[in-house]
Parts: sequence; structure tokens; C-alpha cells
Amino acid sequence: MNVELNIHFARLREGKGGILLAQILRTNLKYQVTAMKKAWLMAATAYLLFATAHAQKFMTRDARISFLSEAPLEKIEAINKSGSAVLDAASGRMEWKVLIKNFLFEKKLMQEHFNENYMESDKYPNATFKGELVNAQEVNFGKDGTYNVRAKGKMTIHGVERDIEVPGKITVSGGKLEVMSNFKVACADYNISIPSVVRDNIAKEIAVRVEATLTPLTRPQ
Amino acid sequence: MKKRLLLVALLLAVIGGAVGLYFYNLKMPSMATQEADLEISASALYEAFDTDEHSANTRYLGKILAVQGQVRQAQVLPDGTIKVVLETGRDFGILCEFDPNTSHARTTFEPGETVTLKGECAGLNFDVLLSRCAVVEE
Repeated sequence: MNVELNIHFARLREGKGGILLAQILRTNLKYQVTAMKKAWLMAATAYLLFATAHAQKFMTRDARISFLSEAPLEKIEAINKSGSAVLDAASGRMEWKVLIKNFLFEKKLMQEHFNENYMESDKYPNATFKGELVNAQEVNFGKDGTYNVRAKGKMTIHGVERDIEVPGKITVSGGKLEVMSNFKVACADYNISIPSVVRDNIAKEIAVRVEATLTPLTRPQ
Repeated sequence: MKKRLLLVALLLAVIGGAVGLYFYNLKMPSMATQEADLEISASALYEAFDTDEHSANTRYLGKILAVQGQVRQAQVLPDGTIKVVLETGRDFGILCEFDPNTSHARTTFEPGETVTLKGECAGLNFDVLLSRCAVVEE
């Protein structure tokens, strides 16, 4: 390998002199040199494609964020269909944001209590996650495929910021990213206290589900 | 006498329970039946959030706003949810997510047409978001 590389560099430095050098080498080595050139060309092309794909930002404003609280006496669920997300493919960095008042419940009282008693959405109108994909380099954003990923960063709910790491799945399909993630959020971690009279109605850990399709971000004209 | 008192107490408990159960089971009301707290134009609403998000939150969050503007973009998500973006003259607009508990007379909107939509102001997330929207009939 070193020989091949040296020949390659020698050719680069000396121009035609390199060809003379190659001529005195055995035939099979000459083939290797040709193969090397091909490999270099392929690598360069791949790098360009990769770099182009990686310079891309992806976005959505239709992320579906839902949660489920399963307690002995009651099952409570809500869904928000207007979460936002921006993902920078080059760095794997991403930001998610969801407005608390847009979580829709089936029952009026549940939605009121969620906003007024637990999330205090007048004071803390949104929840955010700012972080990055731990294994972004394993995802080829330019090629269709499914990748298991981990996201690490800061989650802010109810005004409380915490470091979290959650698993997820990214499916690259026709230039779009389908993102899925399921994780648990403990109410106590975010200073959301549950009065003892309803402790059998509200789970201590809430199951959160994120589903989103991110499309390449094009700047407004 | 004691028996009658017990009967009254029992009756009150049953009524109380029934009322409690009634409120507990109350569904989210349709936006069509709710009155708007305020009327505002799409551009004025966006301007308020763009200038000072905190004070705009204090003023508009949780309020039912009737917002008039031109349709920039309208879409129906795969699950049937209707979303209409109202023009603000800026990069972002007023995003109106339609109420799932209202049977909407109109489900399609043309870019450029002027509409008034009412919904609960949920805050700023790129766009200003109105939740559970319905068309305000002129």
C-alpha cells in the first residue's frame, strides 16, 4: 500500500517522471496503480456526493408529538400535530419545539388541568429539545435506508432543563427523513407534581411518541 | 326524621356524583360554538409576536382570536387534519390547525382568498399557531 501511495505522490510531484518510474515496476504493480487511480476518483466522487448531501438542512412544522399516561384508574392521551424540527445533516445537530396549548385531549377537563395545573402553559408555553445525533456519521442522508440513532441533548419541559439521551429511528426515503422516537418522561424530573388524590389517575412516567417527516429546507425566495 | 335526613344526604351524593361525572366526561367543545375574545389581522398578530414574544404571549396566549388574512398555503395532512397558513408579509405566517371536533363546511382553500379563522392562540413556533380553528362565517 505504501509503495502504491508513494508512486501516486511521486507522479503528482514529478509529472511525467512518475510515469517513467511506473514503467520500470512490475506489470501487476502497474495494474494496482491504475486501480488506485480509480479508487481515488471514486472516493473523490463519493466525498462530493456525501458533502452535498451533508450540507443539507431538513425541517418540518407538522411533527406529531403524542403522549400516553397509563395509570391504574385512567388512561390519558393527547396529540400535537404542529411540532417543529430542524436537523442539520452535516453536524447531526437538531432542535425540536412544541407548543403546549396545542396538545389536544378528548376531554375538556383533562386539557384544562394539563394546561393549568400541571404544565402551567401560560408561564411555560413550549417544550423544546436541543441536541444532536450521537451517531450522525452512521447515517447516509443522501441514500435511502433505515438507521437506528441516538439523540443526546437538553430537553426543556415546564421550564426545567435536563440532559437526556433517547433512541430513535431515521428512515431516509426519496430525499425525506422519516423520524420516529419513543421515550419516557418522568413528571417529577420536570417539577410536575401530581397531587396524591389523583396518583392513581396519572402515571409517574409518561410515554412520549415522536413521528415526523422532515423535508429538505429551501430558503424562502 | 333520621331516615329522611339520610335519604336527602344520599340524594345529594348521587346528584353530586352525576354532576361530577358529567363534567368529567365533557368532550372538548367545538370551536364553532365558541365566541372569539379578540379580532385581529394576520399581519398585526405576527408583528406582535415578532416584536416581543413575551408580551404577545401575555396578551394573546390561550385567547380565542378571530384572525383575518389572505390564504398563503392550505394543506390536508394524511390523517385529514386541515392546516391553513395566513399571509403576514413575512417569512412565517399564522398557522391555523383546524378543530377535529368541528364538522367543517369548507375543507379546501385557495391561495390569495381572504378568510377569517378563529382559534385558540398557542404561541410562536416559527409561525404563530392557532389551535382548534374554525371558519368565521361573514
